[in-house]
Amino acid sequence: MKKYLLSFALAFVSLTAFAQSDYEKAMKENIAKIETSKTPEEFTALSNNFHRIAGKDENNWLPFYYAALANIQKGRMLMQQGKTQDLDFIAGVAGKYIEAASHVAPTDNAEIHLLSKMMYSMKMMVNPQQRFMTDGAKATEELKKAEKLDPSNPRIALIKAEDTYFTPEQYGGSKAKGMEQFKEALAKFNSYTPKSALEPNWGKAEAEYFINGAKK
Amino acid sequence: MNTRILFLISFLSLTVSFAQVKISGKVTYKNKGVGEVNVTLKDTYDGATTDADGNFSFETSEKGNKILTFTHPKYDDVEKAVILESPDVSVIAELKEQISEIDAVVVSAGSIEASDKKRATALLTPIDIYTTAGANGQISSALTYLPGVQKIGETEGLFIRGGTGTESKIFMDGSLINNYFSNSVPGIAGRDRFNTSLFKGNIFSSGGYSALYGQALSGALMLESVDLPDQSSYDFGISPIFLNAGFQKLSDNGNYSYGATLGYSNLKLMQEALNFNTNFTDAPEGLNSDFNFRIKTKSGGFFKYYGMYNANSLGVKTESLEPEYDFSGVNLKGKNTYHNLSYKQKFGKYLLNTGASYSFNRSDLNFSTEKNNVETGNTNLLTDGNYINVKAILERKINKISALRAGFELNSTGEKTGFGDFAQRKYKDLISSAFMETDLGFSNRFSAKIGARAEYSSYLEKSNIAPRLALAYRLAKDWTASFAYGLFYQNPESKYINGPANLDFQESQHYIFQVQRAADGRSLRFEAFYKKYDDLLKVKNLPYVDSQNQYVQTADNNNGYGYAKGLELFWRDKKTFKNIDYWVSYSFLDSKRDFMNYPFSLKPGFASEHTLSAVAKKFVTNWKTGFNLSYTYAKGRPYYDIASENVTGEPEYYIRHEGRLKSFNALNFSLNYLPNLGKKDAKAFTILVLSVSNILGSKNVYGYNFSNSDGGAKRSAVVPPVNTFVFVGAFISFGVDKTEDAINNNL
Repeated sequence: MKKYLLSFALAFVSLTAFAQSDYEKAMKENIAKIETSKTPEEFTALSNNFHRIAGKDENNWLPFYYAALANIQKGRMLMQQGKTQDLDFIAGVAGKYIEAASHVAPTDNAEIHLLSKMMYSMKMMVNPQQRFMTDGAKATEELKKAEKLDPSNPRIALIKAEDTYFTPEQYGGSKAKGMEQFKEALAKFNSYTPKSALEPNWGKAEAEYFINGAKK
Repeated sequence: MNTRILFLISFLSLTVSFAQVKISGKVTYKNKGVGEVNVTLKDTYDGATTDADGNFSFETSEKGNKILTFTHPKYDDVEKAVILESPDVSVIAELKEQISEIDAVVVSAGSIEASDKKRATALLTPIDIYTTAGANGQISSALTYLPGVQKIGETEGLFIRGGTGTESKIFMDGSLINNYFSNSVPGIAGRDRFNTSLFKGNIFSSGGYSALYGQALSGALMLESVDLPDQSSYDFGISPIFLNAGFQKLSDNGNYSYGATLGYSNLKLMQEALNFNTNFTDAPEGLNSDFNFRIKTKSGGFFKYYGMYNANSLGVKTESLEPEYDFSGVNLKGKNTYHNLSYKQKFGKYLLNTGASYSFNRSDLNFSTEKNNVETGNTNLLTDGNYINVKAILERKINKISALRAGFELNSTGEKTGFGDFAQRKYKDLISSAFMETDLGFSNRFSAKIGARAEYSSYLEKSNIAPRLALAYRLAKDWTASFAYGLFYQNPESKYINGPANLDFQESQHYIFQVQRAADGRSLRFEAFYKKYDDLLKVKNLPYVDSQNQYVQTADNNNGYGYAKGLELFWRDKKTFKNIDYWVSYSFLDSKRDFMNYPFSLKPGFASEHTLSAVAKKFVTNWKTGFNLSYTYAKGRPYYDIASENVTGEPEYYIRHEGRLKSFNALNFSLNYLPNLGKKDAKAFTILVLSVSNILGSKNVYGYNFSNSDGGAKRSAVVPPVNTFVFVGAFISFGVDKTEDAINNNL
């Protein structure tokens, strides 16, 4: 009887362990793709994967966060290719995930505010002329909130560096200044430890990419 | 033994659960594969995303009766039951269209919309207007670079598709603006009284406009004023022709704001510097001031008030065409005040939009003649007008893309005119209108706008009912076709009502067909229209009184008629050339009408058959400078010298002279330099502007005046006050970093 109980308990433990690792496995697998995805289609698929995970784990903010991030990266990719037509739509999708993430996140979260910043910047780029005062202002506001919550966050430093890097010198930006900021961001990445294996930890490769790109 | 069996069972069940089932299939919409669809085995992490052809496949270890969901943000969700047992499962799913505001086709026949809420292809924002060379920062001038608007130099107003300047009306937040243009003298166009930056967006309709608006036979311009400012600010403008200062204050909690501006302008300095065609005895001079406030209420309502007062004066002397005088002159003193209050609030599914405006306008014209330096024949034309407009619209959303709107409008006019001893008149009219309109979205491809408007005029003692209809159909991804039809009524122009006459509404009918392609950074529009006029006003001269130096015309009947038809093309491209934004518009217009004092049906003197204009803008980052060019060509308009003779006591009209003006040409150039651009610690933000209109100095002629005596043997050309005008100005603002605005405008 003892043995019976034991094996039952064992089976139960293995079962729960299995379920847990299922979520973790799925998350880890997809988080790894955040920095390896290269095409808008890959990012769409990634967003869908996170959407699926979010559908089963509605009380966890991370799947929503990553779904939003995948959409933002997709939009940024299209923006770099000069395809601005769908950006409003993509920003809208990202916005919904951001909202969902902040709804379930236990505390006001710098990572989510940073995503909001990126989402508004993307929206602004559709028509900077008209949207600077609205979406541009919101982006700045979100960035300030993020910085206040987590001044040492390397991703905030990375996005700020990118902003500087892509702003022409005449307007107070510069490649050189941007590069300095990328180096600062990289230093922050090197001393940064995410709270858990699943918490946001992207961006280091991007900082390295810019720094290495300049050396060539 | 028991344990062993148990282990075996649990081991077996594990292996079984590891045996994968492959689910594959295709997702379609109207038999076409749809990519990027999220396929999920409900309540699991298993699923896939469809490829560009709509195909998907994935493996799962789940078993039994399950549900597959298909989601895509642009379609409605679909669920399908599947039984997972055989090694392979194949599924075909058909999506349903999701109707959404973003994807729904918008009716655009006859109208050009510029506001942020619409797509990126929006046209003519305030910045577009400021950076259009030759527009002088005026909305109405910038519109002449769009198709359908004639370039008429001698009279203010929007001359749309063969219509006169009085056939178009301008609205602010829904309320009619009477006297949008400053008072002026014959032959010189008045200017826009309203500051362009007061408006965040506009809808310009060159025909077939909505039932919410009326009393305009040709077209309407709906201006939407700005909301709360983002920050408090102070600004100054200085140039040889004007000085102005203003401020906007935003409350700390961001719930209300107020602001005011004061400005003075005088053309005297420029008159000395440039070679003017017009002999100004009193250089045009003006004083303008305005005040505004905006309040957001706790319950979500929004109040906007804007009030202005302005006064202007000028005097012009010209050589007289009549042998008995050396010169004839006219002096103007104008006064105008306008107040507009609007209120907007949402109540659940309902949106209430109300507005009221009041304006008073006085134009005091003094005509005189001169012989041997002695002034004679002074005649005063004094016009006082009081106007009140009240409007309320209730809108109810039916679904995402359909809505129903209904409301009423009251439009009261009270005018008093005295023309020397020759004519005195009082005119009072109250036009009461009710209207209803519905936006119907049948699918993302097809939508319609159906409306009707009924009006009653107390002066005419008559009423009308005007149906309006517009349809839009998406032909392909970026291509849209739309059609608009409408009936439009307008009261006879009150300035001709100088005596008793049994009059009726004037009427026009519009048919507009449009094909538009709007893609990223480029838009192409092709429009064809037919407009039929009926019941146009005919006028006759009042009997001549001795010593009178001008005939006084009075409304006679509504027997006028006419038509206008044409083709228009518009192309705007912000993409092909880096940092260059350019557009080209071409209009063909064929029009004839018998109205006013025309003896028979004629090509009207304000209609040019071919109009071509091009606008190009480039911002050079390294120089912090924007360069703007514009060009307009308009084929010479016809001109007529219409005289009258008395046949059995009734005046009869005939054409003494007629001909065609030479074609209109103007190349304009402007640049704006932003010295503080990018200086992050700068306290003041400066924009320097240099603009030269008609840089090649083309000698344009707007028409001719003929002498009354000797059969009109003497004539003089109506020309612009100055052929080439140079403007230099500086605009400085504090508080708001306008340069960052400029950066982003030009990135």
